[in-house]
Formats: sequence, structure tokens, C-alpha cells
Amino acid sequence: MRFEPTDKAVEVRAGSLIGEAAHEAGIDLNMPCGGQGRCGRCAVIIEDGTVRRRSSLRLSDEDIAKGYALACQTVIEGDAVVMVPPQEKIERRLTTDKTAAEVTVPFDYDPLRDQPLRAVYLEIEPPSLADQTDDWSRLQRALRREHNIDGVETDLPMLRRLGSILREADWRVTAVLEMDAYHRPDGPPRLVDVVPGNRTERLYGVAIDIGTTSNVVYLVDLLSGRVEVQRVDYNAQIARGEDVISRIIYAGKNDGLGELQSLVLKTLSKLLERVAKRARIETTDIYKATVSGNSTMLHLFLAVPPESIRLTPYITTVNQSPAVMAGELGLDINPNATVDCLPGVASYVGADITAGVVSSGMADTEKLTLFMDIGTNGETVLGTRDWLIACACSAGPAFEGAGVEHGMRATLGAIEEVWIHSDTFEPTYRVIGEREPKGICGSGLLSLLAELFVTGILDKSGDLQLDLDTPRIREGEHGDEYVVVWADETDTGGLASKHDIVITEVDIDNLLRAKAAIYAGYTVLAESVGVDPALVEQVLIGGAFGQYINIEKAIQIGLLPDMPWEQFHFLGNTSVRGSYMALLSRNVRQQISEAAGRMTYLELSADNTFYDQFTSALFLPHTDIAQFPSVEEILTNGRTETTEREKVCAA
Amino acid sequence: MTVEIPVEKWPGQVREITLGATADEGGTRSHTVTVGGETTLPFLHFEGEIPHPPVVGIEIASRRPDDWSPLLLETWSDVVDDPAAWAKAAEEAGADILLLTLSLEDSVDDATSAVRQVLEACDLPLIVFGPGQADKDNELIVPVAEEGAGERLVLGVCEEKNYRTIVAAALAHDHLVNSRTPMDVNLAKQLIILIHDMGLPLEQILMDPTTGALGYGIEYGYSVMERLRLAALQGDSMTQQPMLVTPGEEAWKAKEAKVGDDVPAEWGDWGERAINWETLTATSLIQSGADLVVLRHPETVQRVQKTIDALMAEAGEPELVAA
Repeated sequence: MRFEPTDKAVEVRAGSLIGEAAHEAGIDLNMPCGGQGRCGRCAVIIEDGTVRRRSSLRLSDEDIAKGYALACQTVIEGDAVVMVPPQEKIERRLTTDKTAAEVTVPFDYDPLRDQPLRAVYLEIEPPSLADQTDDWSRLQRALRREHNIDGVETDLPMLRRLGSILREADWRVTAVLEMDAYHRPDGPPRLVDVVPGNRTERLYGVAIDIGTTSNVVYLVDLLSGRVEVQRVDYNAQIARGEDVISRIIYAGKNDGLGELQSLVLKTLSKLLERVAKRARIETTDIYKATVSGNSTMLHLFLAVPPESIRLTPYITTVNQSPAVMAGELGLDINPNATVDCLPGVASYVGADITAGVVSSGMADTEKLTLFMDIGTNGETVLGTRDWLIACACSAGPAFEGAGVEHGMRATLGAIEEVWIHSDTFEPTYRVIGEREPKGICGSGLLSLLAELFVTGILDKSGDLQLDLDTPRIREGEHGDEYVVVWADETDTGGLASKHDIVITEVDIDNLLRAKAAIYAGYTVLAESVGVDPALVEQVLIGGAFGQYINIEKAIQIGLLPDMPWEQFHFLGNTSVRGSYMALLSRNVRQQISEAAGRMTYLELSADNTFYDQFTSALFLPHTDIAQFPSVEEILTNGRTETTEREKVCAA
Repeated sequence: MTVEIPVEKWPGQVREITLGATADEGGTRSHTVTVGGETTLPFLHFEGEIPHPPVVGIEIASRRPDDWSPLLLETWSDVVDDPAAWAKAAEEAGADILLLTLSLEDSVDDATSAVRQVLEACDLPLIVFGPGQADKDNELIVPVAEEGAGERLVLGVCEEKNYRTIVAAALAHDHLVNSRTPMDVNLAKQLIILIHDMGLPLEQILMDPTTGALGYGIEYGYSVMERLRLAALQGDSMTQQPMLVTPGEEAWKAKEAKVGDDVPAEWGDWGERAINWETLTATSLIQSGADLVVLRHPETVQRVQKTIDALMAEAGEPELVAA
């Protein structure tokens, strides 16, 4: 048995594990999970010889074809040469499947066919003593003669500026027109702006997603359909409450509503200025905005009181708000631009979900699809192109790092993945930005919960086992806790004020409740339409958090249904994508409205089976273990034997 | 015309569990008591097997239970001060098993000696419950388990917040445990899983889904038990434990049983009313699938047993089938 690149050779008996041979050869392989085949950190490349992979849970078929094998799970059957890759390389390999979907133009975009906005160049005949036509009629006449555009309408502010623009530009201007809009599909065309000279080579709009936590702006070139710049920032409303409920309560206070609206407008202004600057344009060159977001966020954006969303029977003031002018709203783009808020379905199934359902392709597929937005509101949609049913369960912000003792958002210094050694109970973790950790983000919490469970530190009811032999499990200020990082290894403050990063009993309860709510929502949804959950052909996962979830661990704790991993697709922010597509195309805009109309909303608080399903899911992985056969196998065997992938590899 | 009675063929069966051990089996009981084994809903003899009738237990206490109704204390009279004498009296009153409840005031010696005296005084399989306070339960039940080694006692009460010590004691000395959860199908199932995960065989776990007395939530308890039994028959392994409930304790907490003075005259005779309350609570629960009911009044024991006998009598062909 020889190891590259160090060229160390050892003699071991056939049937030994590569990990054992490496140890014998004095090679230090990382095995944070304790050699259980769970973490994939001990991957090596078989260069030559015969080995047998007992488990290759962490490897794709492609990896295996390249010769990758897990040192802790691979048996040596004869002479072999093994390459030990540098650790950083493994890190990179393990993270590649988590990158967010790239923004591509979603369909064969033709601005003349798809886009209601148009910029046309006009050389207008100047007035004279012989031609006494007024400016406005003269412009209309030019549009009719040069571009065959008839019946254009305008408004008073435009007319007040019109005369001077035309004269300053020497009657050569670009007119920006909105030929139609969702709320007036048959026109008439509306004059949005008149600018001097020929500016028809550019036309911009923005797609906006107002998330409870993050706001996203895409600056879109409406001629090519491409996203020119995208920027994201935290919603400044966070300072007034982490979740929608606390914001609704805040909105009910003395001028809270006005304050929340100005906070989100401020955040958007900042983003709009940044995208405009990057594209070397003015924010007033942006002639249209399409906005998606959950129902509460859109109410706050429009400063419509959201109070009734919180109170039974949970009714919004408006699910499909009329288009408004940017100037009227105070959105920092051209004041005469239309701001189109996408339609929602109910208080807790908003435009972000209808936009997601369309942009993910769910609204147009024959496959039985489950769409989950894993976040505070845990929206879930089940259906096909023919029918859609949705529900939302208040999962709480635990998976977003809020409401958890040492939780944080997924930024620099957040622990995003954890492995625990099953014999020593010592953790290994990966931190965003590869630095000393400050706290744990949602994906880190999920991964931590799963590792605590499969290593037996947590029992099935989520109780920490105090009798295990490790100082990491102890009684803390807020009940029992597990120490993930000792104070001196953290970046939690000055030297004197550093503290241990722990997960407490209370945190675990919050996480369990969040996962139980999401899973129960999905179960009730499937039951309500009499669909066997096993028939679901694909699971689409949206939400900013969605793209970082480790499927295996999410299944182990019973957050996601136990299905083959290839049936899960992580789509990242499907809400802003839907907003982007609707900005480009009146067809997509129409589809989103149709999807909203087609979607049946199931109010879980009115469904007497939800509580039962919730209690059933409030267990690890679930009270009915038969729903999680792969987890049952791990619990029984200690590891998964993927016989299907077990291949003899001889390079 | 023939009316055909629909017969359901259930895939599941309630687990058979045996309480107590004879001399041959390492204990000192004259006989054991087996419960469970049903392949049908309660008393549907035409549909499946009901190999063992429901069992009636009588609750006794390690020391005089001053919080009990004076009616009970009067009825049992002097024996309430002496666990051995009470055990004997309960056996004579027709109990199939005994439940000995320990007191908060008991020392470890008091508890073990009460258990020893009861075992010596009677031949019935024994259930021993702690006083119902986690720390005290653990302090008393562990030595009791050791004292009763070989007897296949039922130890209790295991609840979600406190079951490990009692289960460990049961494992060490080969006893059974009572798994009690507050009227919820999922919670009942979850605690069985947790206890079983500690290594205790399912044949040593009784399920106690808790109940309320007649007029005090019995409907809720009844339907939870019914759902548990349906799940068991449908093949859900973790719900297939025989069910033990304590209608005696519940019924005697109800005002109608407890209070004799200042109640409307229409309520009738206090003693009769109290016994009726306990009887109706117990017989309702038997109808919902209870395998063991623990009672307090000897007269109730007679009445409940009479009901069980009637319900267990094979009716032959159902009368509805007529030519």
C-alpha cells in the first residue's frame, strides 16, 4: 500500500481500511465524523490497485469514476496506490454543489414581442407660424407618423416639462412609452418620459424582491433581457423586528407603518443607487419596477396597514395591488415609472411564492412537484400545471439564525457546517470566510442538529444526553447545552469577553419546532388533496436559505421528506427570479397572476389535523420512522451501505 | 333476508404481556396475569381474537392515604394502615392485580418493606408506582426494583421528563414499566420509542395514555385510546402495547364522587353516586380498549368485573343474522 504524494508505503492485511493503513504510514487524514463515512473529509484518490467501497455516501458517481474513495469506508483488497489530496481541495470539492443558480435570460427574449416598454426616437417638425399645432399634439403626430403608435396618453407633470425639453433638444427626442401594462392590457400607450437626443440604445427596468431579511435588486437591460447588475442588502426594517409578526405589531404603533415603509425605501434607494452607479446610469433612467415579496412586506412597502394579517381569520387588505407610480410611492427610480407589485394568494402565501412557483417552472410542469420556501413562514406548494395548493406554517426564524442563543445570519464568521466525531463527541466545523467563528447560521444549526442526533448526543425527543463522557455537554444558564466552540477559539468579542459558542436545550426545541412545522405543513397539504407523498416526483427548494441546505442532514432531522437526493433541486431566490421574468415579459406576468388564481390556500389553523401532524413530527426524525427509511438504516447500522454504488475500482 | 355483518381483517395485533412471575419463573406469585393479544376492537368476538379479558386491579397505598375520599377510607377501614392487610383484603375483594402507590413520606426502607409485605401477603402480580415526583420516584423505585427482583413487577410512572432511571431499574432486574403520556396519540408512541430505545423489550412496556373521569374529559381520553387501538390493529408496532389506565384515581378526584355535603339533593345518595362514577368511568374505558383498569372501591370491582364477564361471554352467532 503506497501513499502519494509523500511516497510512504506500508504493508497491511487485505481487508484493512485505507484509513487504517494511512494511520500506520503516519499520514494524518481528517476524520471529523469519526470514520463513519458521513463527512466526506477523508476522500482520497485510488491511483492503482483493487479496493472495495463499503460506503460512498459522500461521493457522486462522477467522483467514483475519477477514483475518489472514502479512506474510512474503503477496504484494501490487494496492492494499491492512493493519492492523498490536499485538504483545501477537498473543501472546494464538497462545496461545489452549493453554488447559487446563475442568472441567465430565462427564455428567448424578444423585446418587441415580450416587453411593454419601448423607447422610440423622434425627429419632430418644429412649429412655425404656418403650423400652429401644439407641442403635445405635435409629439403625438410624430409618434403616429414615424412609429405608427396611436392614442398615446400623458399626464400633467409630463406636460409641464414637455415644452422645454422639446425646444432644448431641438425637437430631436427619445420618447419612452409603456405600450400596455398588466392592469390595462389593451393600452392605450402611456408616455413615461421624453429625453433629449437618441437614447434608444438603452432601456432599463428593475426586478425587486423585498424579503423579510434580505432585499434584492436586479438591474435589467430591457433590450437584451440581461441582468446587468445585482445587489443584495439587509432590509433595514430588521432593526424593528426580525419576523413579519413583530413588524406588523410595530406597524400598529404610532407612525410605525410610515417608519417601516421609509426604512425599506431607504434600503432600496441604496441598492438602486449602487446598481445605477455600476451601470453608469441615473436612477431616473429606470423606467419600470416589478416587485415581489411576502404579503406583509408588500403591505409595508405600500404603507397599507398590515394589522389584519396577524389576526384571525388572517386576511390581507390586498393580494393583488394596483400599479402605482414610483413618484407617488417614493421609490427612487423615474417618478413616472410603473411599480408593479406581483400578486399573492393569502396573508402567508404572498407574491414571493407565486413568483417562485412560476420561475421554478412548477406552474408549467406535469410532474407532481413540491415547492418549499424554507424560512420563517415555511411556505409550501404542492401540485402540477393543472392544480396548486399552498400552505404556510409559522416555523419561526430559527433556521435563519434568529431566536437561537448563538445564531447569526450567514455572513463572515458564521459556522455553516458541523461534523461530530461519534466516539469522542468532538466537533469539526467550517466557517464562512475561514476564520474564527462568531456564531452559527441556519445551515450550521441544521447540520449541528443532525450530527448531535446521529452521534447519539441527542435522543429522538431532542434531549441532550448528560451522561455521555464529554465536557462539551453540560448544564448551562438556559438549561442543558452542547459547546460547539470553546471561548478562546472564537471571535466573539474582546479577549476578556469571549464566550463559548453553544447550542442550548431551548435552541434545540426551537429548531425542532421549526422543522416539525415545515414537515407537518407538507404532510397536511398532501393529505388534504389525497396525494400519497411518495408520489412526489421533484422537490424544489427556494428561499435564500434554501441554497445552503445539506439534503442528507435535512432528511436526518426530518425537515425534508426521505426521497432520493436527486429529486431535490435548490433554486436559490426564486422570488426575485420570478420578479425578473415578469419584468421582461407580459406573458410571464400573466402566468403569475394565473398561478395566483389557480392556487388554493389551505389555512392550517383551520385544519384540525395539523396539530396532530406537528406533534408527530416533533421527534427525531419523526414519530413514524417508516416515513424515514434511510434514517432508520443509519440509526440501525451506524452508516449507510450504498450497495448500489459499491463498485470495484481498478484504475 | 340475511344481514351480513362486515368483518374486518386487521393486519396488526396487540402485544401479549405477562405480569408477575411464579416460583418456576423466578418469582413468588401463585399465577401470572397476561393481557393483550387482541386482533380486533374491544369485544367484537365475531371478528377476531380476544384471548385475555380486561384485567381489574385495586390500588392500595404504602401508608394511610389521607387525601382519599372518606368513603374509601371507611370502606377499607383498618387495613389502610397496613399494606399487607390491605393487599390481602384487595385480593379477597376480587382484584386480578394490585397497584401499590408509594408515599412522598416514605423512606427507601418504608418503600421496600411495603413491597416485601405486600408480596408476602398476597399472590397477585404487583404494580408499584412512586408518589409522582420525579426525584422521589427515582429514589424509591430503584431499590424497589432490586427488592422485587424476579417478580416481574410493573414499575412506574415513566413520563417523558422522567423515565430513564425507572427504565434502567426495570432493565437491571427484569421488570416491566408503565409509560404514561398526557392524552395524545403521538406522545404515547414517542415515549414507547424512547423507552424501547433504552433497550427494554416491548414485551415489558405497558402504555398508559392517561384519561379523565366521567364528565371530566373522558371523551378525549376515550378517543385517544380508540385511535391508539386502531393504529395498533392497523399494524403500527409502537402502539401495540396493552393499555393500563387508572379510572379509580380519576373518578375519585371528581366532585361528584369526592363531595357528600352541599350538593343538590337530586344527586342522590353519595356512596351510590361515587361508585357509579367510578364504574362508568372504568367500563367506558374498557369499551375503548383498556386492558388493565385500576380501581379503588371494592364494590366497583364487583360491578366492573360483572360487566367484563358479560362482554366476554361468547354470544355465538350475532343475533342480527337472521334467516
